[in-house]
Amino acid sequence: MTNETLVEAKDITKVYDTGKIEVHALTGVSLTVCQGDLLAIVGPSGSGKTTFLNLVGALDVATGGQLTVLGQDISAMSRRRRADLRLHALGFVFQAYNLVPVLTARENVEFVLELQGVGNERAWRAMEILDQLGLSEFADRRPNEMSGGQQQRVAVARAVASKPQLVLADEPTANLDGENAETLLTMMRRLNHEQDITFIFSTHDPRVVAHARRVVTLVDGRVAKDETKTPAPLSGTLAELKEK
Amino acid sequence: MRLSISTRYAMCSLRRHLRRTILAVLGIGLGSAVCLFMIAFVRGEGRMMLKAAAESGAGHLRVVPAQWPKTRENDLRLEDWETIRDVTRGTEGVTVVTPHARTEGLLAFGTRVAGVEIVGVDPDTEQETNRLVRNIPEGHYLLAGAPGTTVIGRALAERLDVEIDDLLMVTVASASGEMSSAMLRIVGMAETGSEELDSVICHVNLEDVETLTGRTGAADLTAMVDNPRRLEHFVRDLSERLSDDYAVVTWEEIMPELASGVKVDETWTRLTVAIVMIVVFLGIMSAQLAAVLERRREFAVLSAVGMRGGRLIRVMLAEGLILGLFGSVLGLMFGLPAAYYVATQGIDFTEMYGGADMAVSNVLFDPVFKGDFGWWLIPLAFELALTATILSSLYPAWFAMRTDPAAALRVEQ
Repeated sequence: MTNETLVEAKDITKVYDTGKIEVHALTGVSLTVCQGDLLAIVGPSGSGKTTFLNLVGALDVATGGQLTVLGQDISAMSRRRRADLRLHALGFVFQAYNLVPVLTARENVEFVLELQGVGNERAWRAMEILDQLGLSEFADRRPNEMSGGQQQRVAVARAVASKPQLVLADEPTANLDGENAETLLTMMRRLNHEQDITFIFSTHDPRVVAHARRVVTLVDGRVAKDETKTPAPLSGTLAELKEK
Repeated sequence: MRLSISTRYAMCSLRRHLRRTILAVLGIGLGSAVCLFMIAFVRGEGRMMLKAAAESGAGHLRVVPAQWPKTRENDLRLEDWETIRDVTRGTEGVTVVTPHARTEGLLAFGTRVAGVEIVGVDPDTEQETNRLVRNIPEGHYLLAGAPGTTVIGRALAERLDVEIDDLLMVTVASASGEMSSAMLRIVGMAETGSEELDSVICHVNLEDVETLTGRTGAADLTAMVDNPRRLEHFVRDLSERLSDDYAVVTWEEIMPELASGVKVDETWTRLTVAIVMIVVFLGIMSAQLAAVLERRREFAVLSAVGMRGGRLIRVMLAEGLILGLFGSVLGLMFGLPAAYYVATQGIDFTEMYGGADMAVSNVLFDPVFKGDFGWWLIPLAFELALTATILSSLYPAWFAMRTDPAAALRVEQ
């Protein structure tokens, strides 16, 4: 594990102008995320967690301050370059899974590889990732033919298919029961541990916090607390987990 | 062949609202079929009009004196017309050439008189170019080397109360300005089926017009060609072979009213086709836009995983292309039988015209109008449907591309 800085936020602000009122979602947030981090951003609703994730994920641009992701200034990047950054270096996991409903699990994963320009090997690479996450038997199923836990694992497979350095997960366990949430989180920790993928979670869920090595608390768009902790013990390898 | 995921995504997206997709394809198909039918019909109608005009004595093209296009006078004559006739006959693609000389005159029998245009012809070739004088139920057509004879229309004969072998007195104004008369024996009566045309036909041998008017030679050489769609080519080719003393004119210049009628028909058809295709275009655009609005979150997610705007546009255009392809096939399924029917059976306008003869500007029309039919309909169906669907997908595609992923995901959460 290296200590290379992946995300550097300096005094960033984000204001949403709704026409009638201005909503200050983030107010002077400064934060550094290093390679290999397993960071949970917590805080009450409206504290700016998702906004921060969207800015780091280059889905949105900060109103003020400077945000550097993988050495690139997000606010100075064109739409196209931001899309390229997301495609090649970032992965996303959403609360509502957000798989493409008309494609199978394999095709959902393969789609990202196709966008990356991966040739004929993309099919077996997609299968390899699905297999790592214990989903090979669901490869030809569409999202509506899978449980929530399976769908979220496919979403993780899609997020890591492009071999990103950083995965952003917005409330990934919010719709999962205890067992599925635990399996998913352990898989993500394994990916963090074995493939050195950095994870940033936005969450309310204490189960996610338990697995994090660092917890940043946002209140009213500001960093209220930034603490490092010892995560829950990691049990089982990916190979063992996929049997669950 | 393995399809790309983008293509599969486009195809599967169309399947998610199958009823909407089927209705869209049906709309494209019906729109294309209507357009195919109209284009095929008007194309056939134009061809029939050209054929009718050409075979009613106008020919596909004519060689006339250089001044004729401006003055349109019957008194003008072609110099050395027999040589020019041979040159015209020798032009590749020209099937028949026949000379004409025309003069206004009075026909009299007893106390009855009728004013007509007397047409001097070459009996050997006239019937090949002029279907108005092919049907001679009484007597026979003019014979070469038999001057002093005439063939008149049946209605004209009834008006003058004459029969075969009666002698008609013909009076015309000669080149010197004096009245010139001759007796012509009726050898045949032509019947076209049109009262209007049958009352004006009066054919005589070319040498009789020469004798009566005192003007020698032919006023024009009327030619038929093997491919009337290449008239411009024939005009250019023939003009190059002739001196500046002659002009080559097409049937459109000879009968400008008829030609403009054909053009008006074509313009209306184009306008109707454009209106139909605009309706199809708006329908597809509306359906595609609805599909984009329903999938905003999906597009936001695809954008989040790194799909560029250009790729998204390609996906939307692929959906339009698929709709267009199915619409083309459906258009052919509906349009080809209709076009085939109208090409083989035609549409009978007899009743629409109250049973009256269809003769306009001395041109005899068949009351059953037939459309055109051929392989050209297949690429046309694809061209119409694909143009409409791809163009109508552009705005929804652009709209999809402009989706702000953060805003779309925020709104949906």
